[in-house]
Amino acid sequence: MIKKNMKTLPEELKGFINQSGLQEEKILYWVNCDRGIDGGFVDTYVILTEEALYRLSNGQTFQQEKTFKGFVSKTVNKDLKPLEMNQLKIERIGIDEIHSIQVVNLIASGMLVIKAPNERAFASFTNGNMARAVKLESIFSKLKKNESIQFQKEWGEEEDAAACPHCGMIYPEKGRPVCPKCLKRHAIFTRLLGFARSYKKSIFFIVLLMLLNSATGLAIPYFQGTILFDQALGGTGIFAGKIALVVGIIIFLRTLSLLFGALFGTMNAKLAANIVFDLKTNIFSAMQRLSLSFFQKKQTGQLMTRVNNDANELQHFFIDGIPYFIVNAMNIVGITIILLIMDWKLTLICLLPMPFVILLIRWVFPKLWRLGWRRHRRVSILNSIISDTVQSARIVKAFGKESVEIDRFQKANLTFSDVEQKFNKMNSTIFPIINLITQIGGILIWAFGGWRVMHGDLSFGEIMSFVTYIYMLFGPIQFMNNIAGWWSNCMSAAQRIFEVQDAVPDVSEKEDAVHLEKMRGEIRASHVGFCYEPNKPILKDVSLHAKPGQMIGVVGPSGAGKSTLVNLISRLYDVTDGEILLDGINVKDLTAESLRKHIGIVSQEVYVFMGTVAENIAYGNPECSVEEIIYAAKIANAHDFIEKLPDGYDTMIGTGGYSLSGGEKQRISIARAVLHDPNILILDEATASLDTETELQIQEALESLVHGRTTIAIAHRLSTLRNAHYLYVLDQGKVVEEGTHEELMKLNGMYKGMVQKHEDALKMKEVI
Amino acid sequence: MVKVESTLCSQEIVEKKTDLSEAARIHYLTPENTEFALTEGKLLSVRVDGELYPVVYLHCSFPHSNKRMFISVRTSENQEVGMVKSLDEFPVDIVRLLDEQIHMRYFAPIITKVINIHEEFGYSYWEAETTAGHLQFTVRRGGGNVKMVSSVKVLITDLDGNRFLIEDVNQLSEKEYRMVEMSL
Repeated sequence: MIKKNMKTLPEELKGFINQSGLQEEKILYWVNCDRGIDGGFVDTYVILTEEALYRLSNGQTFQQEKTFKGFVSKTVNKDLKPLEMNQLKIERIGIDEIHSIQVVNLIASGMLVIKAPNERAFASFTNGNMARAVKLESIFSKLKKNESIQFQKEWGEEEDAAACPHCGMIYPEKGRPVCPKCLKRHAIFTRLLGFARSYKKSIFFIVLLMLLNSATGLAIPYFQGTILFDQALGGTGIFAGKIALVVGIIIFLRTLSLLFGALFGTMNAKLAANIVFDLKTNIFSAMQRLSLSFFQKKQTGQLMTRVNNDANELQHFFIDGIPYFIVNAMNIVGITIILLIMDWKLTLICLLPMPFVILLIRWVFPKLWRLGWRRHRRVSILNSIISDTVQSARIVKAFGKESVEIDRFQKANLTFSDVEQKFNKMNSTIFPIINLITQIGGILIWAFGGWRVMHGDLSFGEIMSFVTYIYMLFGPIQFMNNIAGWWSNCMSAAQRIFEVQDAVPDVSEKEDAVHLEKMRGEIRASHVGFCYEPNKPILKDVSLHAKPGQMIGVVGPSGAGKSTLVNLISRLYDVTDGEILLDGINVKDLTAESLRKHIGIVSQEVYVFMGTVAENIAYGNPECSVEEIIYAAKIANAHDFIEKLPDGYDTMIGTGGYSLSGGEKQRISIARAVLHDPNILILDEATASLDTETELQIQEALESLVHGRTTIAIAHRLSTLRNAHYLYVLDQGKVVEEGTHEELMKLNGMYKGMVQKHEDALKMKEVI
Repeated sequence: MVKVESTLCSQEIVEKKTDLSEAARIHYLTPENTEFALTEGKLLSVRVDGELYPVVYLHCSFPHSNKRMFISVRTSENQEVGMVKSLDEFPVDIVRLLDEQIHMRYFAPIITKVINIHEEFGYSYWEAETTAGHLQFTVRRGGGNVKMVSSVKVLITDLDGNRFLIEDVNQLSEKEYRMVEMSL
């Protein structure tokens, strides 16, 4: 079986290649095409050299077994045959014969289609090999154009970075450097305890108090049983007849135990709150340091909620977990010793039902847990129906579908109720049974103990103490029985939190990054390419130049890649190909601070933070004076509406505050950019969502702002770009036209078409 | 309830209303206007009303509920050539050809037996017998990576986006179902 995901060709293949007259060193790139064109999994290799494209395949022989990325196989199937070299067929097509290689996206896989001269399905691969296939496509196209090709080492880099340094296994998830094979839960536990390090003293006292609480608790049954019945009431020993004293001691011990309990409870609550506070602060700051892509990944929302839930989970770890574990363990040991000392035979008898209890718990709890999970899922469905209907109340009413919604809810409610009933039924049957069995232990003591009391081997007081101790033992044992699940939950929660802490930002500042105090504002993008996922390029070979102070317009249909381009300029993402230079320096070589300081963005997605209007405007520059805030608001045409607000610049906005209209928020965000005073201004569809009148007002604001700054303006509405010095027309990630407005109009191409459509639309509006 | 007649009688309204099928302008491909053929390069080509499209791909509108109806025939530039309303309209040999092409695009191993699913650190590790052999793959927990796509069908998506299917969840044994259920 050939090892997958290797950066060098499998050894067996190398031999075969050499025999076939194809030299290994001539290989430019290769892809393992592991899917048959008609389905099934195969072992096919597509190899590109400077002279030809080769396909090595063993025909239609399907693999009997396949392990996909991330799976740590514990068993090795010895029956599997290695790749049989004698069955390999080699097919060669000269580069001159091939017009193009294209990667076609299929569902969850891809296909290499070559044109030589007719189009032909050449090989197919699963999603895991998509990135390599796309690279092969790109190298081939460079080869065809006689462009220089940099060598192999560079292409393997990304794969190197994604492997576990200890065992070499490819991480199951790109960008998540967690190797399930090498991950040690103990290490996480130690690291987690690290959070408690600064609270060593409190923890010491908490554990001490808990132990004292246990010790006093353990003494009580002895006094209540043996001392009270046998000595005080029985008239023997040092407490003979001293009933009041014994009762007094019992009350004292109870009070003491309660006091210790209350004290450790208070200290523990304080400690846990502190630790969780540290934990949350830590996670939040760790998140802020990460790149935009981290937040835009699909699972970010989940991750954030999870982090919150995980922090709570860990709160339980510190409050209910560690301390109770220590105390319960001590209790089990302590009680068992006491019982054994008192009467080891009786101890063994009353522990007889214990294995049954444990077996029962082991058998029933997974079922209960599953039912719990099912119930949880049903509740989620029910909740989403409720929130769905509430949010879409307008649509529901408009279509008169109230009864349909009621039915939908009823159906979900019914399934939930079914599961809930099953869960409750099991819950309410199993616990009484467990209790009954455990109580059998107590009954057995009464029976055997009573018998021994009658024979004079045991006193009544002893048996009383004994029974109380036995009941005290069940709680800790039950706790210990659930500990495995609890431990695993806590460790997973901790792991997820550490993951955020350890995540490496995709866009990171170089150690020797250059800080630019002043920037002229020259932007040059050359041959820029960018993709979030392989074979789904957003930008292809985009070049752009903006001289200092110039206004550059970027136009194109939605989805053309305009916003991505400006995100790359401000280095919210890193380019996949090509480079972006600001004042002649690659953005990757600049400090994040210089980029943020000199680049201002006004985008279509406006966001106001929780705080006053003034705080929102001063967001980028909190040290500014009140006058500056007002100037900025005035320039942004926001001053007038702010003055109209009853609380003026002190109006609280954002979540839960005064609600502003879209245009008002937009003007606040422009004011924010004005106050930020950048040398490069990016206007990303700043006015697209506004009505014509508001747009005109904002246009005025922007015109005064762009003066003297390098501006890149993206717009749907071409009227907003009338002052642009130079225009780029983007379509499907490529620059299709460029020039001044006049030049582009003469071209009679896409731009002219857009202008005409725009004018027609305006005329229509006038007519209406 | 009192019914009030509109000033326009219902017949007039019907005549004035635009027909949806007209408005949508869907070009249906039928055996009369379309000739499908397999190219030498194992790809599909189509000639519609005399115009040849050398390579086209089939996109099912309802890949989970019914792959055989409303199939969009598209070029590699994602331009729709037309739609096949139902595969059954075509002769048997063409249906076979189109079926093969659909299988090529939508190939996903169908799980016949779930051997084991174990969970660790936010991933579930699946081992299963499928129509494409014995497979082992890793699924990220949550995020709808294991989901019901119909009342009986389960779609499982692994870390790389590879897809696996359980055609009928009711056909699973009690033990298999228990394992799958905990991943849903």
